[in-house]
Amino acid sequence: MKISVRDVGDAKVVKVEGDVDLGTSKLLRRTLFETLPRAAKVALNLEAIRYIDSSGIATLIEVLQDSRRLNKEFVLFGLSPAVEDVFRLTHVIRIFQVFQTEQEALGTA
Amino acid sequence: MGDTRRGLQLKFAMPSDPRYLPVVRGAVGPLAAAIGWDEAECRAIVLALDEALANVIRHAYHSRADGLIELECRESADGLEITLLDNGDAPDRSKICAREIGCDQPGGLGTHIIKRVMDKVSYEESPEGNRFVASKLLRKTS
Repeated sequence: MKISVRDVGDAKVVKVEGDVDLGTSKLLRRTLFETLPRAAKVALNLEAIRYIDSSGIATLIEVLQDSRRLNKEFVLFGLSPAVEDVFRLTHVIRIFQVFQTEQEALGTA
Repeated sequence: MGDTRRGLQLKFAMPSDPRYLPVVRGAVGPLAAAIGWDEAECRAIVLALDEALANVIRHAYHSRADGLIELECRESADGLEITLLDNGDAPDRSKICAREIGCDQPGGLGTHIIKRVMDKVSYEESPEGNRFVASKLLRKTS
């Protein structure tokens, strides 16, 4: 799994590539928890995720909860088929703000 | 007379280390495709198996990497049967699928995924260890 973070105005865009599973979700969790306090909004780009399991989805839920506590925005965009499958199976998509593109996620479209 | 059709059988003896999960995923996806499932179903089967293995690593072996998981994936006459055997702690049945689906709590999603993807799921304690068995039927449309 590869993670990159870049600044876009007041927001941070986090891109995840590869597999998010029991072995790698801790790194995603740590990166997102470190990034969240440093920006008004964190937009997570999921288009290059090849695989994600329930530990990855649990990480996203934890970060969403922390964003509410910190009064920050945490949004998702570019859901790959692998991510859509797991969201569909777990019925958790309704709790997230999900967008098609980075521009839409950042409100610059 | 039992099922005499000979299908592909995959067997792994896997350490309880998450580093090996991609190896298993890489083998089981093509097996599901060879049996006849489409791409989305193959992804779901791989996910269900991965969740079952992750549960053994986390709950039976408490994230210790030196446990043993024996995995068998067998093509049956009507689909696929998956068996996992481990020697860790037995699963707490009261916690299986205990969370509400679709809620905003992070834990306990894996067992729901397994139940939704597979047709039959069972957890048994046997003299050899904890046995998890899950099967899925291939529904032919033509």
